[in-house]
Amino acid sequence: MSLLGETWRRFIFLLRRRRLDRELAEEMRQHAALKAHKNVAAGMDPQEAQYAAQRQLGNIARQQEESRQNWGFPFIESVVQDIHYGLRGLRQAPGFSAVAMLTLALGIGSCAAIFSIVNAVLLRPLPYKESSRMVHVWTVGSLFPEFQMGQSVPNMNDIKALSHSFETTTIYEPELKSLTGSGEPEQLSVAAVSSGFFAFFGVHPVQGREFVGADEEMKNGDIVLLSYGLWQRRFAGDANIVGSRIILDQKPYTVAGVLPAGFVYPQKTDAWVPLVIEAKWLAERMHWSYFMLAKLRTGVSLKSAQSEMDGIAARIARQYPEEASGIKFPLMTLQDAAVGQGKAELFVLTGAVGFLLLIACANVSNLALSRGLKRQREVAIRAALGASRARIVRQLLLESLLLAFTGGLAGSALAAMGVGAFRVLAPTGFPRLEELKVEPATALIACAITAFAGVLCGLAPALSSSRANLNLALKEKIAAATAQRFSLRSFLVVTEVALSLILLTGSALMVQSMVRLLKVDTGLRIDHVLTASLNLPKGRYATPDAYWLFARKLLDALRAQPQFSAIALSNTTVMKGGTSLMGLDRSTLAALGLKDETLNLQSRSVSPGFFETLGMRLVRGRSFDDRDVKGATQVIIINDSVARRFFPGQNPIGRIFKLGLEPSDQFEIVGQVPDTRDVSLHALAHLQVYFPLLQDSSNGRNFLTILVHTASESSVSVASLRNALASVDKDQPLGKVQTITEAIAESVSQPRFRAWLLSAFAFAGLALTLIGIYGVISYSVGQRTQEMGIRMALGAPQSNVLRLILRQGVVLALVGAACGLAGSFFLMRLLASQLYGIKPGDLPTLAGAAALILIVALAAAYIPARRATKVDPMIALRYE
Amino acid sequence: MVRSANKNELLPGTLEMLILQTLIRCRMHGYGIAQRIQQISDDVLQVEEGSLYPALQRLLVKGWVKAEWGTSDNNRRARYYTLTPAGRKQLGTEAENFNRVIAAIARVMRTA
Repeated sequence: MSLLGETWRRFIFLLRRRRLDRELAEEMRQHAALKAHKNVAAGMDPQEAQYAAQRQLGNIARQQEESRQNWGFPFIESVVQDIHYGLRGLRQAPGFSAVAMLTLALGIGSCAAIFSIVNAVLLRPLPYKESSRMVHVWTVGSLFPEFQMGQSVPNMNDIKALSHSFETTTIYEPELKSLTGSGEPEQLSVAAVSSGFFAFFGVHPVQGREFVGADEEMKNGDIVLLSYGLWQRRFAGDANIVGSRIILDQKPYTVAGVLPAGFVYPQKTDAWVPLVIEAKWLAERMHWSYFMLAKLRTGVSLKSAQSEMDGIAARIARQYPEEASGIKFPLMTLQDAAVGQGKAELFVLTGAVGFLLLIACANVSNLALSRGLKRQREVAIRAALGASRARIVRQLLLESLLLAFTGGLAGSALAAMGVGAFRVLAPTGFPRLEELKVEPATALIACAITAFAGVLCGLAPALSSSRANLNLALKEKIAAATAQRFSLRSFLVVTEVALSLILLTGSALMVQSMVRLLKVDTGLRIDHVLTASLNLPKGRYATPDAYWLFARKLLDALRAQPQFSAIALSNTTVMKGGTSLMGLDRSTLAALGLKDETLNLQSRSVSPGFFETLGMRLVRGRSFDDRDVKGATQVIIINDSVARRFFPGQNPIGRIFKLGLEPSDQFEIVGQVPDTRDVSLHALAHLQVYFPLLQDSSNGRNFLTILVHTASESSVSVASLRNALASVDKDQPLGKVQTITEAIAESVSQPRFRAWLLSAFAFAGLALTLIGIYGVISYSVGQRTQEMGIRMALGAPQSNVLRLILRQGVVLALVGAACGLAGSFFLMRLLASQLYGIKPGDLPTLAGAAALILIVALAAAYIPARRATKVDPMIALRYE
Repeated sequence: MVRSANKNELLPGTLEMLILQTLIRCRMHGYGIAQRIQQISDDVLQVEEGSLYPALQRLLVKGWVKAEWGTSDNNRRARYYTLTPAGRKQLGTEAENFNRVIAAIARVMRTA
């Protein structure tokens, strides 16, 4: 209570300071008067009495000051005083303050933005209970070693029976279903899940019930659980949704419940249905369709669980050599699976942004150092007046913290904008983007970095200024007192040059890799070709005949549209990464004399018109036509790679190719087309065979891609596409319509985004370096004014002086560039996996970046150098 | 600081106690307080102005004395200090402590 009262009184005193000051002064005057009065009474001469009283009282100003120290909060006040002083100082040097603040805002802002993205995407655990123990159990087989596949039922049962690492497991199978009924038909992403699925994630429906074992046996008819988002969007949050019916893939489903907001596992899922495994797959070891999740027992490490999986895989492989040879069950934490490709990207960005922050700090240190040197005299005077070194250092540190804080504030705003921009600009499919938001964490991170940058930037100049030799400084021999400090400034500049060169090479490599990727010749006509995908309801075209009928009707409807000059259908997407692979069985390989190899072919089933639509000319033979249907000779078209690999130096047309396990899987090669990249820009042309869509019955019958060549890509064309489809099946939703050019742009959105971001960082770094070099050189020009005057008075031509100054900048830049090149050489290897068509040590790129840095350095040194040549010798000599 | 006439410093904190004690009967101004201490101690204790005013500010901040302007006997404006109830209580504790210390010192001086 008394402490509270005291604080309150101190506060009041603080507010009344002026009055109290006046009163104290008057009180002491009265005191002196009374003393003088007493002296007079004792018999002194009045004048003498007054002097005596004043003598006895001593230094009144000092006593007042000591009294005053008892008011208010002296420590805090001195800090406030320092802050005032610092603010005044910053106001007095607006150029310095603005540049330093901008520099810091840039460094802190980009750092905070990237770190909060890293935090949101990589570090923060997934929003499920005990998510750190959740793993995917993949299958990798020798047939398609580069693919992670789901599990087959028998393998999964073996894993469950033999392993001890897992507490629980669950499975799901993602699929697409079209929702029809009221409103536009819509494609939903649906997951068929086993009954323990929601318990595995620890989520419960907010309405209705979850699935039970009986649902998997179809005892309750078709039921569905809705995501919160779908419930809100499509059913306006209808409170009576449970028990109502919705139409999925033309079949009625009863809504059993709604899941809580935010739960969308596995991926932006709109609805969940019970997983009903068809009887024929129960014993099929090679039907790897079910994604298996497991929760590790507490205390079981990923590593030990993995070694157990390796043992089980080896056992299964031994037991079933035909179906499971070389099988592996790699485990992957759910977090890693969710982040996937984003990880490498974010590490690169984090590194880049860390460099940028370092450059920013070096720059501010440098600026503060030159400012500290300019203020040497002021510091010396303060020290001479009795300010302790601690107080001076405190004041200088406070000043830089002030700078860092304001910079940090601006930086936080920048970070918030950056995170917002990232959400909008991030490439499609960037992981966990829906969870990313601007958070208080961003501000906290920014503040932590701010404090760090503040101390880092403040310490060097503060220490060096306070150590200044008083005597020399007061005599204004600053040049002498500071000569030894030039090395620190040079060191900072060299560091800046090196770091920004590394940033520059990184971004140059990324940009070039991007450019090279976009220049890749796909071998396809990509302009004026529209594509759209159809996800056909499961079971709607159950038999091959129904499927062919639909395809044929669709082809006729599309051909009837006059503005389409060529049309085609394909069973996989073009330039959107979709592909299907088929393994060559051993007998085929043996027949071709390729005994010990595993080879797989890319396959695509296409309608007549496919090659014409995509502008692929035939090398040999003929294209598919309307006669290549069921019942006619089974035919295929191959690409150059297949011809080279299997029929070197021969004409493959008319040859029979065995593809598949059945004796009837014999195909006559009727045509040969050039190699193309129709999967994605990255994917090199592969061994590729084309089947006639209307003949091949091995396809899954739930997907089609439409391709049309049209003179204009206007909305009229899109409408014609829609009309053609609606005339065949009005309930079939049409996927996104885009041109192949757009599809390509989308497929490279990730590397393009990275290249852009890195370039932005690199140019920010370059700008900061420019400022840094300029600062150092102009400071040194300022110091050497007299020397320049003497040189010119003695007859040195201007060009000599110019060269002298420029050389200083160039030497710094050269040393920095050498360090930067060495650093790039080592660091760029980390980028190798993200580069396309360019090596991390690409000499022209390194040389170009170094040249750019040198030019910038020269430009930065030129301005102060010009100033030096304009020195009037007379003025320079009169300088001191 | 309070000094005895032979320039020995007293125990720290004593000045505050002496000021509070001086104010126990009536309000006084700074000069008066100094005079009073000197008088009562027969000029043994001399209060330096340099410590009197800082000490008074401390007491004000602690809330042990109050200050108000008034007119002195010879018609001058003066700032008068009054003891507050909290100050009276504080004086009690300090006097008790002081007496204990003095008694202890006296015991040591008698026996040693």
